Amino acid sequence: MTDEKLIETLTAVAKDGATRAGRGLSGLMGQEIAIHVPNVRVGTKADACDAVGGEESLVLGAYLSISGDITGHVMLLFPELRALECVDLMCGQKPGSTTEADELAQSAIGELGNIVGSAFVNALADDLNLILHPSPPTILHDMAIALVQSVYAEVLSQGGDVVMMDAVFEDQKGRTAGLLLVAPDPASIEPLLRVAA
Amino acid sequence: MTAPAEARRISVGIGQLAISKDPTDVLVAYGLGSCIGISCYDPQTKVGGLAHVLLPNSEGKRPGEGEPARFADTGIDTLLKQLAALGASPRRMVVKVAGGAAVLGPANAEKFKIGERNAEAIKERLKHHGIAPAAVDLGGTKGRTLEVHINTGKTFVRTAASPASEL
Repeated sequence: MTDEKLIETLTAVAKDGATRAGRGLSGLMGQEIAIHVPNVRVGTKADACDAVGGEESLVLGAYLSISGDITGHVMLLFPELRALECVDLMCGQKPGSTTEADELAQSAIGELGNIVGSAFVNALADDLNLILHPSPPTILHDMAIALVQSVYAEVLSQGGDVVMMDAVFEDQKGRTAGLLLVAPDPASIEPLLRVAA
Repeated sequence: MTAPAEARRISVGIGQLAISKDPTDVLVAYGLGSCIGISCYDPQTKVGGLAHVLLPNSEGKRPGEGEPARFADTGIDTLLKQLAALGASPRRMVVKVAGGAAVLGPANAEKFKIGERNAEAIKERLKHHGIAPAAVDLGGTKGRTLEVHINTGKTFVRTAASPASEL
């Protein structure tokens, strides 16, 4: 299959997942969230981090692995300040109340990652009739590219190429309110495309 | 700061390497997670290079043309070869290594171990070339940015939580 065909198929696969994930985020934040059409990129490109402020940008987020009929990786990342605003919205606090990634903030972001990431995985499972299990979330707090790159490495260590789907969420002010990254393991690409066909 | 005022920062992306003998150059590998940055510098000829390695071993696979430093073994070989072509000597080479963290959390560190395996592969390959690193900053759970200043050969590491310190 050509890269173009692969990108086209996976973009279609990711669309419903991104919509459901965005709806989950919208519900938690109690505000409208715009969902961009998902991107699919092949290869170890650094532009995956552009939506959260670039390579060295400090992000807060969560990581989940997928097991079951297909395996892979899911990350939800926020620029740190956006994440702290999200925590205030989720907890019904006055904006600006959360000023650092303390225990409460991290636990809220973990929950956010859990709900939004699982929404994507469950959409994939429903649409493609697969059995998929998202893992419990791991909290992430680091430079964006360090996280993205570690997922690239994990995928590529199994051989093949890295294929990453992303969905950008935007708040009402047009600011990035989350970046969802999903990368199937190389052995799962073929089965994923087969059931998507 | 040790970098000249007109410093030119050259970003060395995933799987890339860069060499330079231009004293205004600063070679930078941003946000090394499980990846490892290898800085090599010959103080006599003031020639330096930086490789941004993603995976431990090529196992006979040829790295793609766009990613000469995807693997530790072939990446180090290529870096040293290119530096030698610029007049650097492996005997004088000061090598510093940073990265190999487990940024996806402790549970996943046990599962993936890529950072740890990268570190092992790099030490082994350097040893193969008769080189012992002068300084290392490896492992842990935090991403690092590594840079080497070509005018002085000094290297600096910073993380999201801590400002640049000399390695």
